[in-house]
Amino acid sequence: MPSYDHYVILGNGPAGNNAASFLRENDKDAKITIISDENIPFYYKPGLTRYVTGDLAVSDLLVESLPSYRERNIRLRLGQIVDKIDPEQKIVFLRHKENVHYTKLVIASGSRARVLPSMRGYAQCLKHITTYNEVMEFKDQIQAANDFFIFGGDLVGFKFIKMLGSMGKKVTLLIYPNAFWPFTLTHEMQTTIASNLEKSGVEIIVGDDIHRIIEKENAYVVKTVKGMEKKVDMVFSFNGMIPSVDFAKGCGLDIDRGILVNETMQTNVPDIYACGSCAQIYNPDINSYTTSIGWPNAVVQGEVTAMNLLGDHKVIESAGRKYFDLEGVKIKTTWWEDIEESSSI
Amino acid sequence: MKDINIVIEMCGSAGEGTISAGEILSRFMSAQGYEIMSFDSYPAEIRGFGKCVAHTRISSDPIYSPGKLADVLIALNDNHSISQLSALKNQGILIYDSQPARPHEEDKSVLGWVDPGIITYGIPLTMLAHRAAGSARGRNMVALGAIAAIFHMDKAGFTQSIEDRYSKKKKIVIDSNVNSFLEGFEWATKHIEKIDSFSFEGVTMPLQDEKLIINGNQLVARAALDANLKFYAGYPITPATKIMEILSKELPRHGGILLQTEDEIAAIGAVVGAGFGGIRAMTATSGPGFALMTEFTGLSVMAEVPAVIINSQRGGPSTGIPTKTEQSDFNAALSGGTGDCPRVVLAPTDTYSCYQAIVLALYLAEKYQTLVVVLLDFFLSNSIRNIDTPEKPSESLLNANIAPQPEELENYQRYKITETGISPRTIPGTPGGIFFSTGLEHDEYGRPNYSDKGHLKMTEKRFKKHGAVLSEAPAPQISEFDGETADIGVISWGSSAGAAREAVMLARKEGISAASFSSMMLSPFPEKELIGFSDKCKKLLVPELNFGGQFANFATHIIKRPLERLNFITGRPMASEDILEKMREM
Amino acid sequence: METIKSDYLDERLDQVRAKDFLKYRSGDLPTWCPGCGYFGIMDALYKACRELELKHEDICTISGIGCSGRTPIFINSYGFHTLHGRSIPVATGLKLAREDLTVFAVAGDGDALGIGGGHLPHVARKNIDITFLLFDNSIYGLTKGQSSSTTPHEMKTNSHPAGNPDTPLNPIKLALAYGASFVARGYAGDPEGMKTIIKQGIQHKGFSFIQILTPCVTFDKTNRTWKNLKENVYNLNLHTQADNMETAMRAAENEPFGVGLFFQDKDRLSYQDILRGLNR
Repeated sequence: MPSYDHYVILGNGPAGNNAASFLRENDKDAKITIISDENIPFYYKPGLTRYVTGDLAVSDLLVESLPSYRERNIRLRLGQIVDKIDPEQKIVFLRHKENVHYTKLVIASGSRARVLPSMRGYAQCLKHITTYNEVMEFKDQIQAANDFFIFGGDLVGFKFIKMLGSMGKKVTLLIYPNAFWPFTLTHEMQTTIASNLEKSGVEIIVGDDIHRIIEKENAYVVKTVKGMEKKVDMVFSFNGMIPSVDFAKGCGLDIDRGILVNETMQTNVPDIYACGSCAQIYNPDINSYTTSIGWPNAVVQGEVTAMNLLGDHKVIESAGRKYFDLEGVKIKTTWWEDIEESSSI
Repeated sequence: MKDINIVIEMCGSAGEGTISAGEILSRFMSAQGYEIMSFDSYPAEIRGFGKCVAHTRISSDPIYSPGKLADVLIALNDNHSISQLSALKNQGILIYDSQPARPHEEDKSVLGWVDPGIITYGIPLTMLAHRAAGSARGRNMVALGAIAAIFHMDKAGFTQSIEDRYSKKKKIVIDSNVNSFLEGFEWATKHIEKIDSFSFEGVTMPLQDEKLIINGNQLVARAALDANLKFYAGYPITPATKIMEILSKELPRHGGILLQTEDEIAAIGAVVGAGFGGIRAMTATSGPGFALMTEFTGLSVMAEVPAVIINSQRGGPSTGIPTKTEQSDFNAALSGGTGDCPRVVLAPTDTYSCYQAIVLALYLAEKYQTLVVVLLDFFLSNSIRNIDTPEKPSESLLNANIAPQPEELENYQRYKITETGISPRTIPGTPGGIFFSTGLEHDEYGRPNYSDKGHLKMTEKRFKKHGAVLSEAPAPQISEFDGETADIGVISWGSSAGAAREAVMLARKEGISAASFSSMMLSPFPEKELIGFSDKCKKLLVPELNFGGQFANFATHIIKRPLERLNFITGRPMASEDILEKMREM
Repeated sequence: METIKSDYLDERLDQVRAKDFLKYRSGDLPTWCPGCGYFGIMDALYKACRELELKHEDICTISGIGCSGRTPIFINSYGFHTLHGRSIPVATGLKLAREDLTVFAVAGDGDALGIGGGHLPHVARKNIDITFLLFDNSIYGLTKGQSSSTTPHEMKTNSHPAGNPDTPLNPIKLALAYGASFVARGYAGDPEGMKTIIKQGIQHKGFSFIQILTPCVTFDKTNRTWKNLKENVYNLNLHTQADNMETAMRAAENEPFGVGLFFQDKDRLSYQDILRGLNR
């Protein structure tokens, strides 16, 4: 009796799902399990902002229906938390006391909203748009609110601001230079972005910081260090994402901010791979590791990981696949090259 | 008006208190005024740790079927619960032990098999049970506490129900159960983030008298005692054994006598003997036993001696499947045996009507001097309902024998041809009323007689007598018509009638014009009413739990038109969901 | 009702009417063959009922299928001709439901020991208070001469023309083994002796098993003939030792033609008395 591989994929996002799909297409017999700690199906995260504003329906966000997993014989386990990994025995320990054995493990656990250390005290007041559940919670609130205070300024944040603008909402944005973490906006980029936004009616604050946020009767009063005071309905923080990898710490994996992998997506531990925004990929040109964000990157990395798992030695491309327009500034989705300053305003 | 309709299943292994937890839940819910229906399944083996499932449906509206799938599955035992997952609805809720005593190997945990759409609530059952009472035994009560919290049940009322259930036990038992319950309740209240929408809060039920929580077998025994049963002969057979066991205790207290016989032939023989002696008697069996009793059915009808046989149907044919329900003895009940042998057949359609069926059976057998077969099935025998305590039968139903007038005793003709077909009958011990009964064809004196004219006359008499039963039959249950006609008419019998009725109600809500028909009296059958019903329906559907469509074949001859069939032999009770789906297709 | 006219029968009827026990005889003429041993059994039965002064309406006679099945017609009592092998269960139900009645169950050897064989152990061990008469002619008479459970080995019958390959059952041994509390044998040629035994059986509180040796004049012309019976039957006279099982068993084994009481346990409680004791 031939024994089949068991590919265990941690994370139900684009990286994990694409890896799973690719694996299944090329290996009919292997067992493939996706484990996610969230209780939500595979959805199109970039569409969240448009869903919030009503442009997209919930059904448009769904990428794979639940029956499709059964059809492809991919085991999808939602709402199940990984406590730790034992690479020696090749077991993933789930919190509900189940031991899952793998032959190959793929960590694609993605990233979560970064809360600035200085802001941790106000964590309750802050809203993020990073997950489906979060958005479900306050979508209606957004529709009803009028005044928004936003600080930070990452990709999602800028998209969101645009959406709010189109809904006729009043937005105040406090730009942090390193909000686009792990990337840092240069001063010129900041200026370009700022002037673009001001044109659409957004009030921009630069070179300042938040001093206090006071919650008052379903509204918030934000006071900056330099003395500005704004009374708003909702406060949003868009300060980049940090990899969700706490569960993987301590099992022998090399982890910086994210899980370190080589050009073929392998970690330092045999049979464990990582991809997507939870990983930092080695870039030989700069002799360092860089993170990536964005949907298309995750998709590619998932596929490359799968190829490598299947035995095909495939090196991740270092050229960016896509550019996106960040308020007139073209930025590549991969970050191991310097940002071009070519822009069109 | 806020309402609730929820099916909760608890799945564990034998010895984990699954069934008793289900009982407590049912009892509590009934006391709160809800309708409940439970249908538990037990392991097939006597010993060991087989799978137990306590399935309870709770509703603020009348319940007609147990519900095909569960809304909530409480997994006390992961191994067994894995196989029970298929009975959980797609968007259902799973309650599982998030901290079992030992880690499960992969895929031995119920979470390894759960479909991604299921809502899962992990409760540390083992840990809380230990905390409450020092052992894992109370996990079932912890689970009850957890669901009580999650679904907003009344904590005080539930606690009281638990205390009542164990009131006769030592204090330590009561306390450990109550504490386990409370641990589960408190923990869930604090830690569980509720994402489903089932809630008992705000559903107010009207105050009612305490209801009887009872299953078909128990109700049958109760009815028999109320209806003056004085003799029971029987042989143990699943699922009818419980009837005998209850009567073995109760019948002597009511001045009767119970005989456990060496086989079913002796059982029905003794029943016929007692009937000959003018005493109300009955026996209860299932398929294999009923087959053995066939010869005596002919004697009862030919010699016109009262007898009542309860057949609680199970998977067949032959030894079949003893622990699953089926409706495949229709043909056997109506026409099993040899010769032109008409007999009365009753099939109650729900738990409550089991009472009426037995009272009626004993009455009809006595009055019409013939065999009455009462068809139950495994589901009706074992499913539990809360019902209003039935009223005891009136005097007129208890003494039904038509005795001859004194002048008729001169030259007494036991089998006199009369208008109704019923010949006045003397009871042994009556002076001057001596007669001879035989299984041979006979004349009006009961003496063997083989003439062609005599045989025709007597057969006509017996058939006429049989037909006269219809005048005392309960009317068939026909749902209301929206207007003059319906697009689909569902004709059903026995325990399937509940699911059919529910399916019709649901269909109407969806805009399908539908109506339902069922009759407890199967033989003689209310043909006129069935034809009238059929005339008002464009299409007809007969759902039943047998493969060959026994009732459909019977009905199609009466109404002389084709009908759609829906046949299941899964061993599970008929589900309204399945009937509804078929109706949609039609 | 059809009437059969014949000189012989009229003569017989006159004889019969002359005797006083007409009361228990019903008006119907038996359909048994002339010379059948059953006539003698009936005589004994009528005498027993009369001497015990039993009321007609309190007597129930239950029969199975066979020539003996017609018995209830010829007694002036409530009668029930039931199914092959089933007189015992019907009689059991009747007696348990109506303790006030005197219940007879009659059956032939084929009926009681063949198809009905499964009922004997239980009516005996439960000690149901009925009187059971086994009309033992060791052949199937009604169906015209096949071997029965008591047909001797190698006897030629209509189903075994080369000779019966089977070993016959010993009804007395069986009754004793099944724990019957009253076991006796009678002989159809001795109505007086039979009457005594039957009376004792009726009066016995419990199951009374009475085997009656009787010929089948039509289908057994070689083995159990009147001649052979007359020559071999004798009184057992065991009654002084009739509570001794060992003696009874030995006699059952060794005395195939001894008639009289084999065994009686007067102290044993009837089924209903036992129940009453247990339920208290």
